[in-house]
Parts: sequence; C-alpha cells; structure tokens
Amino acid sequence: MSLHLKDLSVQYGRHPVLTGLSPAPIPAGSVVGLLGANGAGKSTLLRALAGLQAASGDARLDGEPLLGRGQPDRVGYLPQSLPQGSPLLAYEAVLSTLRATRPDLSAASAEQRIEAVFDRLGLRDLALRKMAQLSGGQRQMIGLSQVLVRQPRLLLLDEPTSALDLRWQLAVLQTVRSLTAGRSCLALIAIHDINLAARFCDRLLILGNGGLLADATPTDALTPEVLARAYAVEARVEPCSAGFPVVLADRALPV
Amino acid sequence: MTAASLAQGYRRHILGRVALLTGLLAAVGLALLTDIATGPSGIRLTDLLRAENDPALHIILWEIRLPQAVMAVLVGAALALAGAEMQTTLNNALASPFTLGLTNAATLGAACGIVFEISFPGIPALWMVPLNAFAAAVAATLLVNALARTQGAGADTIVLFGIAMVFVMNALLWLIQYVASADAVQQIVFWTMGSLSRATWEKDALVALALAVCLPLSLRQAWAMTTLRSGEDHARSFGIPVGRLRLIVLLRVSLLAAAAVSFVGTIGFIGLVGPHLARLLIGEDHRFYLPGAALAGALVMSLASTASKSIVPGLVLPVGIVTALVGIPLFMTLLLSQRRGR
Repeated sequence: MSLHLKDLSVQYGRHPVLTGLSPAPIPAGSVVGLLGANGAGKSTLLRALAGLQAASGDARLDGEPLLGRGQPDRVGYLPQSLPQGSPLLAYEAVLSTLRATRPDLSAASAEQRIEAVFDRLGLRDLALRKMAQLSGGQRQMIGLSQVLVRQPRLLLLDEPTSALDLRWQLAVLQTVRSLTAGRSCLALIAIHDINLAARFCDRLLILGNGGLLADATPTDALTPEVLARAYAVEARVEPCSAGFPVVLADRALPV
Repeated sequence: MTAASLAQGYRRHILGRVALLTGLLAAVGLALLTDIATGPSGIRLTDLLRAENDPALHIILWEIRLPQAVMAVLVGAALALAGAEMQTTLNNALASPFTLGLTNAATLGAACGIVFEISFPGIPALWMVPLNAFAAAVAATLLVNALARTQGAGADTIVLFGIAMVFVMNALLWLIQYVASADAVQQIVFWTMGSLSRATWEKDALVALALAVCLPLSLRQAWAMTTLRSGEDHARSFGIPVGRLRLIVLLRVSLLAAAAVSFVGTIGFIGLVGPHLARLLIGEDHRFYLPGAALAGALVMSLASTASKSIVPGLVLPVGIVTALVGIPLFMTLLLSQRRGR
C-alpha cells in the first residue's frame, strides 16, 4: 500500500494555496509530518485528500484516485477543531459514526470495535461522559476515536496534538506510530510542534510558498536554511542524546 | 471497569432514555385528557363520558374538544420534530420553522391560496390551502438551504437571514391583506394568530399523515444526524452526504411546518422549546432525541391549549398567543438552566 501525489494543486477562488505538489511516493507504515507556517497549506492538503476540498492533479491510494469524492471507507480525517457543547455521550459519538457509515456491522462487532479503540487510547473513563463536559483535548481524543474505529488505511490528522497536554501529545503520537507499524496503513499529520514531528515522524514534508520546501527524513529536512524559508526564523538544529534533531529557534527574521 | 462493562454501561443510559420517552408519552396522554376535559362551556370529563346519550354533549366531545385536543398534540409534535431536525442540519440551536421564517412563508402561501382561490382540477379544496402553504414553505426552505451552504455563512448569519425572511413574508402578507376581501382578511387573521378552533377530524388526519410520513424517515437517518453533531467536515469525511441529507431534512421540515400552519396558523416557539426540552432530558442521540422532541412539543402545545381555555373563564384565546406568552419565559429558563448545567 502506498500514497502517490502528483502535481497536486489547490486554490481558493483565484488564490492558489498549493501548486504542483509532487512528493516522493509514501509507503505503508510511514508517519509523515506536514510542517509549515500558518497558511502554508497543511490543512488544505489534508482536506483535499479527504475529499473535502476541490483540487487538481492526481492523488492515489493503492492506485485508486483520492481527489473528488475521496475514499471515505479507507480514509480517516480528523479536523483541526471539533464542535463544543454537544450533550452526546463520548461513547455514542463514536457509536453513531460507526453505525452511520458501517450499517453492515453487527451490534456486537460494533461494540467490540469501540471497546478496543477506547482501550487503545486509554479513554474508558470518558466513554460515558457528555462531550460538553470534556476538555478540548479530551474531545480531540474522542474525535480521534471516531476516526480510528473505522479502521482506515490512510490517516489524515490535522493538528491532533494542538489542544493536548504533553502526556496526551505523546500518547496520541505513540498510538499513531503503533497503528502504522502494526497494520498496513500510513498517516499524514499536520503539526506545529517541530520537535514532536522530528521525534515521531519517518518523513517530513515542509510546505511554503505554495510548494514543497523539503521532503526528507527529519534529520535531512530540518536545516537552518529550510526553517528560515518556511517560518522566517533564525534557528539552530542540534542532535539530542536520543539521536533526533532538536530545533532551537533564536529569533524571528524580518519578512 | 471490566471489558464488557462499557457497552453495558451505555445500555443503562439507553434504558434511562426509554424510561424518559415513556414518561413523556404518559405526560402527553394526561395533558390530552386534561385538554379534552377543559372548555369554555365548563362541562367536565365525567359529563362528557355520558356523551352518547346527549346529542349536545356528543357534538362538544366529538366535533369540538377531541379534534382540537388531538390537533394540539399533532401540531406540537410536527413543529417540534421540524425544529429538532432543522437545529441539527443547520447546526444552529436557534433554528426552527418560526425563527427562520418558514412558518411565515407557509402562512403567506395559505393566504395566497385563500385570496386568489388557487385550484387544480382533481385536487379537493381542503388540500389546496395546505398545498400552497407547503409550496411557499419549500421555497423558503430552499432559500435558507442555499444560504446555509454559502461559504462563510455562520450560524448567526442564518438566523439573521431568517429574521429578514420573517419581515419580508409579513410585508407580503400585509400587502395581500390590503387587497383581499373582508372575508378573506378574517381568514388570514385567523392564520396569523394561530388557533385550534377550526380543527376537524379530516384536518387532524392530514397533519397525522404528514407526521406518519416524516417521523419514520427521520428515524432512518438518525445515525447520520447524530454523527453530524460531531461537525460537518468530520461527517463529510466519513462519507455522509451532508448536502443531500440537509436538503432531504429541510424538505421534510417544510412538509411538517406547512401541515401544521395550514390548519392552525402561526404557532411560535414550539419548534424551539420542544427540541431544547428533549435535548435537556434525553441528549442528542437522534434515535431518542427526535421522538423525544416530538413528544415534548406535543406536551407543551397540549398544555398551551388547556391554558388558552382556562386563562379567561368562558373564553378561548387563540393558542398562538398563549404559546408565545408562555413559550418565551419557558425558553429563557431552559437556556439558562442548560448553561448552568454545563
């Protein structure tokens, strides 16, 4: 299984956001981080691959086209923000997703799948609480459960860690890593925390100026030059004791 | 918690909701009986039970009180179900047939039907006014839907658009009243006030038919509507055809609003209060929320009908006045208690 993107372009009205994106093929088992400044097109790329945003060019998952109507059965998309204040129970938010999209599943197998996801993410204590009573991070975790319960082959996660504390950030990314390693699926994660991306991603696509500024392993992609172009910052990149690159931003550059 | 207890725990919540729905149903039954037992003539339920032997009592029971009391329940259920579906698909807690101008559009359609005596060969006259109301409500619905789909149209914009629609529909209604005959104006005024006084079994049957068509179809889409509460993008990415779902729901809403408005006129706030009451009691799993909203709307409308006959002894106030007067404070109380409960 693999994901191929070729000449992918997206525009809002007459304003191009992404132009001619053609990263190297992404093989199964990969966790790919999407980095870039605000407005670089990270969320736009994920929305296009989820079939939520019109795009031109070609995107294929296992040779099947993704653009246009998308492949909702095989793609799991987690948006950046989820609605607040719903009196739905967390359990039934996940249950409704499964029942609405997989009417073929028996009640027993639906329950088993939900149990497994809540266990995997360590969310059993939240299952029977109302969504309105959960914190932003907890709601994000339930949103992730709604995605994972459908067992997608391609995970598109838009800032899945942005509302989470440090412990939950690591828990989510560890879960995604173990999912991609254990099953033949792959994940694209838009993320702001560069060091977290360097720690958990096999590859980074760094977006800027409507295109790709880098497409490589974290060690190769994260250079002071690329960071200056992507974020307009002066930064140092140093290896940590575990061998991962660590970015230390020193100052903002004039734009 | 053991491995199996998550689903078991959830089943206990389900049982609680079934119990609440049963309680609501019993409350509607009690309210219906109270409504039947109340009237300007002061005749009590025990007297009405002897109606078979007394032609006057027979008429009061079978041609006045029962059809009106049943109409109150049906209209309350129809408007609240319509409100619940609108609130979900437009993702707006203030959406209802009344606040978004659908009720006014249906009233305008009904007024056009009365004043211009629109008729089609083969369609009974009784159906023509509701059909006009339905056509106008559908047109208004499609306009709301078009706006809701416009990029950048937030919840506030949709409500503001609804308010604008109410004003436009009212202006057109006044224009029609201005050119209409005195008899037609009287009929239109009856619509704008909202009254159960012209309810008949035949009209009850038409509203019941609209409900019987819409409620099962709503329940068939209950899972999709529940998922929509997790966000439109999320639902669309799961493959739920949100645009098509919204259009189907709004067409159903038009049918329900038109059926209700055609026979009893403008009834405000039931479409808001019913869903909020159900959400507060039952939550938003639409398998329970939709019937819960219909029952809550039926209950409030039935109580309003009783109140309309009790406030001034010997006089029946138009029920639309009562729902507006009682509905606003009730709605505010609900909203405030909901905020405190979070």
